[in-house]
Amino acid sequence: MKAAPFAYTRPGTVEEVVADLAREDAKVIAGGQSLVPVLAMRLGRPALLVDVNAVPELDALTRDGDVVRVGATVRQRRTERSELAAAVPLLRMALPWVGHREIRSRGTVCGSIAHADPSAELPAVARCLGATMVLTSTHGTREVPAADFFSGAMTTAVAADELLTQVAFPVARRDEGFGFGEFARRHGDFALAGVAVRVRAPGHGDGPEARVTCFGVSDVPVTADVSAELRAGLEAVGPAPSRGELVSALAGHAGDVARAVVDTGGDSHASPEYRRRLLSGLIAREVAAAYLRATRPETERSPR
Amino acid sequence: MTLPQPTARTGADQDVEVSLTVNGSPVTVSLPARVTLSDALRDHLGLTGTHVGCEHGICGMCTVLVDGDAARACLLFAVQLDGAEITTVEGLGRPDELHPLQEAFGRHHGLQCGFCTPGFLMSSYDLLTHEPDVEREDLPSKLSGVLCRCTGYRGIVDAVDEVAHAHRDGLPGPGNCHRRTLVGRTAAGTTVPPAVDQPAGEGPGADEGHPEEIALPEGEPTIRIDVTSALDAAPEDVARVFHDVRLLARCLPGAELTDDLGDDWYRGRARVALGPVKLAFNGMAHILEQSDERIRMNGQGRDSGGGGAQAGITMVAAPGDDGGTTLRATADVFLTGRIAGFGRSLAGDVSRRMFADFARALDRAAAGEEPAVDARPPSAVALLWSSLVDRVRARRRRATSGRRRRP
Repeated sequence: MKAAPFAYTRPGTVEEVVADLAREDAKVIAGGQSLVPVLAMRLGRPALLVDVNAVPELDALTRDGDVVRVGATVRQRRTERSELAAAVPLLRMALPWVGHREIRSRGTVCGSIAHADPSAELPAVARCLGATMVLTSTHGTREVPAADFFSGAMTTAVAADELLTQVAFPVARRDEGFGFGEFARRHGDFALAGVAVRVRAPGHGDGPEARVTCFGVSDVPVTADVSAELRAGLEAVGPAPSRGELVSALAGHAGDVARAVVDTGGDSHASPEYRRRLLSGLIAREVAAAYLRATRPETERSPR
Repeated sequence: MTLPQPTARTGADQDVEVSLTVNGSPVTVSLPARVTLSDALRDHLGLTGTHVGCEHGICGMCTVLVDGDAARACLLFAVQLDGAEITTVEGLGRPDELHPLQEAFGRHHGLQCGFCTPGFLMSSYDLLTHEPDVEREDLPSKLSGVLCRCTGYRGIVDAVDEVAHAHRDGLPGPGNCHRRTLVGRTAAGTTVPPAVDQPAGEGPGADEGHPEEIALPEGEPTIRIDVTSALDAAPEDVARVFHDVRLLARCLPGAELTDDLGDDWYRGRARVALGPVKLAFNGMAHILEQSDERIRMNGQGRDSGGGGAQAGITMVAAPGDDGGTTLRATADVFLTGRIAGFGRSLAGDVSRRMFADFARALDRAAAGEEPAVDARPPSAVALLWSSLVDRVRARRRRATSGRRRRP
């Protein structure tokens, strides 16, 4: 389990990084927590690793108006601890599920999204929130919305000569509540099924809005608008239900959503039918939790 | 955490120089970019306490602290850690003063085969330093980054929970981090502290020149030796040998002086064989004091198979009875790597035996007899046998005299 030999460079600027990426069979390494196992198993043998950890601007975690910008080398654990990142509650709810502490010490938010494992948590968070990915190459910089970013298992809009320099996550609005949950064989394993949920409280004459992004059940994170299902559930139990009442009321609808969303072939750990049942339970549970967080007074709303 | 410095491109077949602080010691290693931190620690620095299990980030055996946060050493390329501060299980506690976590793991049977233990210790150290208020019910998931196949985890949870309760206001830091010389198993690993004065263009460990000093580690030595021998030779004959370093080296079985580097620096090698264990040390000695009745030197050596030794040795000759000489040798020996795993008792017995043999050879040399040119390394059987005989004798002495004669 040793990586095959590779050339190595650690440039100090984004310009140098993308120049290296444009020249040859190169791969970006930041935290390496997804890449190193791939290299160790010799599933990948890039000629050159371009280490981006010496680029100061990529190490930035900043609030920029309505978004929190997470740079390419910002560690997951730093994000988890950051007060600034608390403005994106869904990110902070999802991060403890990413691998283990030991992985998050080095693993980066951008790296997980660029790696795009179908059962990873952070791509689902980016998709659910409609985050924006910033890609840079020698040709310039472009922004790609999350909806267009994930194109298949471990395949994204990032071209071979591009660097995902940062991801911009929208800051939570006051009327939003979030939910996150997953089932895995053991904590830290990739999820058999998981959900990231955003609910907007009912506004002036509008009903509540709800969207759920499911992961581990297809080759990309799949987002579904479940506003109609939430409204139907609320009609059955009234506008101020207990959590249990709302979960029960959503259960039937959640099953329909899960049937439509799960299209993985299944594996030795879980058949597609089993994943549908897991997902159905998760959708009902987390949509209910997110609705209650969105509609509760401000003081009670912080997750956990 | 500070960012690493940019570095120019290195070819796949080239080595990169990486400077780290490992358990408080600044070290520089030169290695290919594909070498993981776990391999660098074990092979280049001789720190085999960091275990390697799956080598792809699943099992957690190789968990170490990188800039204070636990991370898996098999998922990091050492080259990426230039400037980082690493703490391994060797830095956590000393054999004679374990870290509270190590004590608790022992008390609660938190280990059986011990293979996962370094990983669990470093992971739980990280947990308790960052989340001192962690509750027992959360420990199984908080410690899920390391796998144990023996204990069923109960003893581990008990141990960590006890330490958490005892140290809510802050866990004691690593107790064994200070400057020492780390010696690796491969020729590629060189770890002479960077302060060493080297001619330009030559890395540490180059064939010419010598460091400014051999800095012995702080803290308790692995073995402390104090052997007094009665020699037949007269003090002035012993003094003659004291001034002849080549002859002195010959007196040590298995040792050989290869170079006189000047300024009282010498290069040499020594072989020791203990059953299946064969050690071949290459190293240097620096004579700090040399008079008719006293010799003081520091030495350090690297075993080609995976260990290092450093020693501060003092020998004092005094007029003895009947015109002979009393030779007292004291030494603080610091062992690292695989040889440190022998256990103090055996290593101490072997070392004392070597000093006793040395004294006999010195006695003969003082009498004008040249020690055998092709000195055979101390053989396993002979050494172990005499160690055993010594122990039996010591026990009998204690039994008869009621006094502890041996340290």
